[in-house]
This record gives sequence, C-alpha cells and structure tokens, in this order.
Amino acid sequence: MRPRLIGALLLACFSVLGAGIAHAHPHVWVTSVSELIYAPDGSLTGVRHAWTFDDMFSSYAIQGIESKTKGAYTHEELAPLAQTNVESLKEFAYFTFARADGKKGKFQEPVDYFLEYKDGLLVLHFTLPLKTPIKTTELSLEIFDPTFFVDFQLAKTDPIRLVGAPAGCTFDYQRPKDGAAGAQAMGEDNFLAGGNANYGAMFANKITVKCP
Amino acid sequence: MRTNASAACPGLVLGRVLAAGALAVAAALTIDGMMHVAAAQSPFGGVRPPATEHTGGLIGWLLAKQSEFYREMSSTIRAAKSDGSAVWGLLAISFAYGIFHAAGPGHGKAVISSYLVANQETARRGIALSFVSALLQSLVAVALVATGAWLLNVTANTMCGAERVIAIASYALIAAFGARLVWTKGASFIRALQARTEGHELALASGPAFHDHAGHDHDHHDHGAHGHVHHAHAHADHAHNHDHAHAHVHDAHCGHSHGPLPDELAGPGGWQRGLGAIFSVGLRPCSGAIIVLVFALAQGLFWAGIAATFMMGLGTAITVATIAVLAVSARGIASRLSGARDGGGALVMRGIEFAAAGLVLLFGVGLLTGYLFAEPLTCLKPIL
Repeated sequence: MRPRLIGALLLACFSVLGAGIAHAHPHVWVTSVSELIYAPDGSLTGVRHAWTFDDMFSSYAIQGIESKTKGAYTHEELAPLAQTNVESLKEFAYFTFARADGKKGKFQEPVDYFLEYKDGLLVLHFTLPLKTPIKTTELSLEIFDPTFFVDFQLAKTDPIRLVGAPAGCTFDYQRPKDGAAGAQAMGEDNFLAGGNANYGAMFANKITVKCP
Repeated sequence: MRTNASAACPGLVLGRVLAAGALAVAAALTIDGMMHVAAAQSPFGGVRPPATEHTGGLIGWLLAKQSEFYREMSSTIRAAKSDGSAVWGLLAISFAYGIFHAAGPGHGKAVISSYLVANQETARRGIALSFVSALLQSLVAVALVATGAWLLNVTANTMCGAERVIAIASYALIAAFGARLVWTKGASFIRALQARTEGHELALASGPAFHDHAGHDHDHHDHGAHGHVHHAHAHADHAHNHDHAHAHVHDAHCGHSHGPLPDELAGPGGWQRGLGAIFSVGLRPCSGAIIVLVFALAQGLFWAGIAATFMMGLGTAITVATIAVLAVSARGIASRLSGARDGGGALVMRGIEFAAAGLVLLFGVGLLTGYLFAEPLTCLKPIL
C-alpha cells in the first residue's frame, strides 16, 4: 500500500485508540505525612499515615454527612466514612509499597484509623502494621497511586518521621518530579504501549531508610 | 456564553486560559501522530514560571495543564464567594479544562470516532454528535448533583452508587451499540469479500454491487443478483466493449460512494441513528464535574458550579469534535486512495468499517469488565 494511505489509516487508528491510555488525570490530591514505627529490637513494625485530602474532594466526601455543629465534624460523625476509606484502600494496597532485601513487605489491615475535619479539609489517619516486622540495613517505602487517580505529595515540612528507630538510622526521600518532566522521563513510548499499571510510578514518593 | 465571557472579562486569567485552550485544540490534533514535538512547548514559555515544564513532552504538558486547571477551579469558586467577577475566570478555566480533559484519555471521543468511521458518517454529523453528547453529559452531572446533593442531601457514597449504575448502563450501551455495528458491518465486509471473488470473474458486477450496498443494505442481495445476471449478458453480448464499460462503471462507483451520504443525513431517520452514540457517550457524567458541582454547592455557589459544568462540556465538545473530524477525514483519505486502486478499494473500506465497529464493541466490553482502566467503574473508588 502507499505510504499516504497507511499514514491516513494509522492516524485514524491512533485518534480512536487514544482512549486506551491510562486514566492520566488525578481527581484527588493527598498531602502525606508518614511515621515509620520501630520496635525496641530495631525492626520496622508498621507505617502510620496522616493523609490530608484537597478541598474539593474533602467537600465531596463530606457531602450529606450529618453533624451536630454546622461546619464541624467529630471523629465519631466521620467514623463511617473513615471505615469506607480504609476498606476501599485495601484493593489498592493502601498505595504504600515497602521493599527490603529484594522482598516486598506485606501490610495487614489498618488499625487506629479515624478522620479529622480541619479547616475544610479531611485528614485520614491510619496505621498499617507489617505482617512480619522488617529488620534490615536498607529499606525503601513508596507512596503513590499506580493509576494516578490520586496524586500523592509529601508534605512540605517533615513529611517523614522515624519513631523509635535505632540510633544511627538515617532517611532520605525523593519527591516525584513535576508532572511534565516526569512524563518525559518515563518516555512516551511506554505511554503508548499502554503501560497502565506502572504509569503512576513516575509520580512516586520514594523514602529510603538506612540503619547501621 | 463563550462570547459573553470573552467580552466581559479582559483579565489575565481569561486571556491566558483561552490562548492555552486554542493551542490545546492544535495539540489534540497532533497528539497521537507527533508524540515527540518538543517545539510545541515554546509558545507556552511565558505561561508558567517553573522551568521544569519546558522539558515535558506534549502529553506531560497536557497532563500538567489539566491538573492545574482542575485545581484552580476550587480557588476560583472560593474567590467567587466574595468577588462575583471571579466567576468569569472560573468559566474560562472550566472551558480550558474541558478541552484538555477530552484531549486526554476518555471513551467519548473513541466511541464517536469509531462510530463515524464505521457508519460512513459526515464530519458535520460528527461535530453535531460531539456537541449533543457533551451537552447530555453536562446535564446528567447537574441533574445527579441537584437531586442527590441539593434536594435529597445524600452522602457521597450514595451518589457514587448512582454514578456506578449510570456508568454500567452507559458501558453496556456502548457494548450493545458496538455489537450491532459489528453485526451489520461484518455482513457488509463478508459481502464485499464475496463480491470481490466474483468480481474477478465478472468485473462488471463489482461496480453496481458496491454501489447498492453502500446506500441500502437490505436491498443489496436482490439488486446485486439482478444486476449480476443482467451485466453477465451484456458482457457476453459485447465482448469488445468490455474494457470501456469497466472503466465507466468503476468511476460511477467512486462518485456514488461519497454522493449519497449528505442526503441520508437529511432523512427522517437521521437523528435516531445517532442516538445510540449520543446516549452511550453522554450518559456517564465526568467525575470531575460532579466533584466541582458538590464543592460549589458546599460553598453556596451551586449556580457557578452549573455554569462551570456547561463550560467544561463546551470545551470537551470542541476537542471531541476535532478528533471526530480528524477520523472522518482520515477515512475520506483512505477511501479516495483505496478507490483509486482497482477493485479492492471497496473491500479495504468495508474492512476499515468493520474494524472500527469492532473497536466500539471492544471499548464497551473493555469498560464493562473493567479491563480498560481508562475510567474507574466507580467514581472515586480508591477512597470512597
């Protein structure tokens, strides 16, 4: 066939297949503050998150919830919503991915979870206990949504705290690059190949902890 | 609405947004074919300060822009509470968001484009379908929030449930619509295949056969068979004229395959044929619009949310229409090029239509089964 014909056909196909790409636009923004909790023996036992949702999502999520005082919500009034949140997050592995010594750390279901309503924003607090505590010299923790429906950002100040960690443990964290730069870094070929599953990885927040 | 907006607000935001919006249409045109056009960045050098933006590809830029516009909606709605003129900024941002959002992933443009290609529709009809389905989408979003949040004050969870039902219905509709297209286009394709093999023996038959088929599917068999016999006689009687006759019939076929389409449009059944496309695409509201509406309601500015939703719809319609026109033009080029080739052109076109019909079905099934994660089946599933 002629090149022009092939070109025209390809153009038609691509304009149609554009929809095959991942859901590339976040609808929820989360500002994350996380604590890594250590046992006295120096092993990591779990992660405690405090996730602040953006104002539009907060308004949306709070819609229809009754409160005694107008514009203020107690933890009890928000308890059913918090329950829904942690239940829904399960399917997405709580957007929290731990890795040590080449193995993935598995989390149990969240404990001590509650929602807080502060200045028009919802803050979800929850603790993810590890199934088996990890004792290692180097550990990585990533917080991100692989589908990029939720955009996670580490808080500007003190996004990470080590709680009860052995002396000499240090941590470092890497914020995702700017959206545009990140998309470029990942390469548009991957994008076209329909790499839905890992698309959000370029927006990952990566935390690395080193212990002696 | 758009004219009012431009006239009443000469503000920075508006100008910035409209400029970016206009360029986004151009971006949508080139997005699939020219992924690596770094040059497209330069016009926006002054748009946003961070230098990192300049390194992004077209897609990265589109993503960054729509995120930015979406987030700006909340601050402009807040601002509109104290300063009414901020609403113009909100409308401009919503419009731009609509353009960018539709340029990204979404089943709407895919279904409409595939439908247009499969059904040999005109560009004008494509534009009309895009606008009507976007309008329906906005109406559904407003109706859902007005009933759910404003009248009944149900929780977000309950509204999610309603949204889920609408989404499933919409995806099922796409699948059914696709199945019907596959059925009819598959039949045409098979007939074209048969006609082609017969056409080799009796070249004259292929012309009338394809002509009939393009216009009136149901009549095809009778007419085709009739013409077939008739021409067979003619062919036998005037063996000398064979080459001449062949050329003439072939030309007629080319003219006819384009000719009848606008007339078909004007026919009484014209709009009904497009209803499937409109409903399957327009039924499912955009999650973003629903969040914006609920947020606006919570801020006591529901009307501003409604206006923003319709501006989003207008922006979406423009992008989808652009892509639809692109698809129809591509089909037209393919048709002309393949028509210039002897005999097999019609077969190629039936094949393309069949493939486009298959795509609609695939999208429906893919969305329904959740295989295409293009849009989560539930509105905000990860969290609600």
